Parts: sequence; C-alpha cells; structure tokens
Amino acid sequence: MSDGALPPRPDYRPGSAQPRLNRPVRERYPQIRPTSGYGDPRIRHTGPGPGSGSEQEPERSSKLNARLTLALTVVIGQLWGLTVTVNEWMEGNTGTVWWGAGFLILSFLAVLGLWLLDPKDR
Amino acid sequence: MSLTEPPPPATGPELAGEDAAERLRDRISADSLTTRRDYLRIVATVSGGLAIGGVGVASGILHRHGDSDGLPRAKKVADQLAPGESLAFRFPGDEDRALAVRLSDGSLVGYSAVCTHLACAVLWREDRGADGELYCPCHEGVFDARTGEVTAGPPPRPLPRIFLTEEVDGSVWAVATARSGEPAKEALCRQFGESRPEMARRLGCAGAERATESRRT
Repeated sequence: MSDGALPPRPDYRPGSAQPRLNRPVRERYPQIRPTSGYGDPRIRHTGPGPGSGSEQEPERSSKLNARLTLALTVVIGQLWGLTVTVNEWMEGNTGTVWWGAGFLILSFLAVLGLWLLDPKDR
Repeated sequence: MSLTEPPPPATGPELAGEDAAERLRDRISADSLTTRRDYLRIVATVSGGLAIGGVGVASGILHRHGDSDGLPRAKKVADQLAPGESLAFRFPGDEDRALAVRLSDGSLVGYSAVCTHLACAVLWREDRGADGELYCPCHEGVFDARTGEVTAGPPPRPLPRIFLTEEVDGSVWAVATARSGEPAKEALCRQFGESRPEMARRLGCAGAERATESRRT
C-alpha cells in the first residue's frame, strides 16, 4: 500500500467534531447542580487525582465522621442516663438524680467540644 | 484559598440582578444542603436538650404519682371491704388514683393505680394467679398483689404503696404512702418523723430516737 492512497488527516482541534458536544457542561447536563456530585464547584480537574473527586481531603472527612460518631454515641448514653435519672427520681433517690443531671451536663459539654473543634468544617 | 472553600462568587453588576436570583433559586431547588456539620450541630442541640431535661428532673418538675411531701391527711376509703373485693379511690391528692384490695386471705393492701410504665390505670384481676394480680391493660404490665413488685411486662418500677388501716367497725382508712420501691419503714419514718414523733419512735425510726435523746439531754 503506498502513502498516496491514504486520505488526508483532518486538522487537530480540541473537543468534538460535533458542535453540540462542545457546549458547556451546564447546557449539556442541566440536571447537574452546583451542589450535586461532580457538578460541585470544588472539583477542578477531571480524572483521578487531587481536586477531581467528591472528596479532596479524606483526612478531613474521616475526622468529621469520627466526631459525628462520637457525638451520636454520647447522645445515646445521655438517653440512657435520662432514663436512669427519671427512674431514680420516681423512687425518691434525689441525691442520685443530681449525679445523673451532672452526667448529662458533662456529656453535653463533650458533644459541644466535638462540635467546637472545627465548626466551620462541612 | 482553602480547598474546602468554594471560590468566591464573581461580584459585578452583571450578577447583581436576575442572574443572582436565578442562581439562588437553582441552589435552593438543588439537592439537600444539609451537611454532616449540620448533623453535628443538630446532635449538639439534642444533647443540650437532654441535659436541660436532666436538670429539670433533678429540680423536681416531674410529679411522683401517689406521693406527698409531708404526712397526708388520713382518708376513709370504705365502710367495709370484703375478701376478693377492690375499690378505686384518690389518695393522697385528688388527682392521685389509688386502689385498695382485700385479698382472699383477708390481707388489706393498697397501691397507687397509676402504672409506672406509662401512667395507665392499673386494675385488680382476682381470677389471675393464686392471690390475683394487679394488671395494666395498656401494655400487659403485671404487678404482684401482695408486694406491688413487677412480675411481667414493661413497667420499670414497683407500684407505690399506700398504707391502709382497718378500724374496729370495719372501715378502711388510707393513712400514708410509700414511694416506688421504698421500704415500708423508711416511708413511714419519713412521713411520721416530724408530724407524729411518738408514732415514729414506736416504729423505731433512727431520727426519732435521736430527737428523743437530744430532748432528754
């Protein structure tokens, strides 16, 4: 096969040869909102790597998950504590009830601390 | 600029009007904006509410059913109460439902008729068990007729006891109350201690004996 039989190559240009596929993402996919998945404005790059996925700082996310889990665990403990406190009150053990109230307040301070570690985080 | 912060929105005269309004509408109609940090804030709020509830309970916002601070005024419950019969009455307050029961062997017992689970009315069922039993139909709670202890179902505490006496003419009187699970002697000493010290002394209450000794010295 000789070189003269090949058709001429088209000039390279970025994007698609079809103009409808070169429209901005927002026009092509109106379902994607600024707050949904890959439409998130914080995503700056395509493909794998920094700034490309929904999670750019896995450590931050893990810390937030841990704080949330700890806080939920403390609140479950508070629900138990309130049950015990009401039970003690109904039995007339007023001294124990004040200890229960102290436990509930300390638990709240722990949750407050977990929140105040980084209240600006999302 | 931090990676976690979105880029600042372009401000200019072109975004100030309809475009900004449209972006806001679009943002509002998009996916839920509740973040994990919002959840953390909600959890902290719930936690604060529980702490306030605990302080409220400790400071006494909950009414103890069938309880009174001092010695309640004795109340005549019935002229006669035959074995196997029960009678509903109010004691020590007008809102405190109570139940007097004469067991088949002649014993006289009285309890608050407010279930310790969710405050439904407790009924006397003579046909159940050897002594009969006190039964809460709301959630199948069962209490022992002789002691008031929970024998089945979800109630967390025994029924508060009401002390009944029988006069020579057969009339039945309610004279004192005990809190849920409180030993009879403690309850009687607590109530008779100040208003009727001679009765407290006869019962062998510690405080009454000390008071008597201090009076002697």
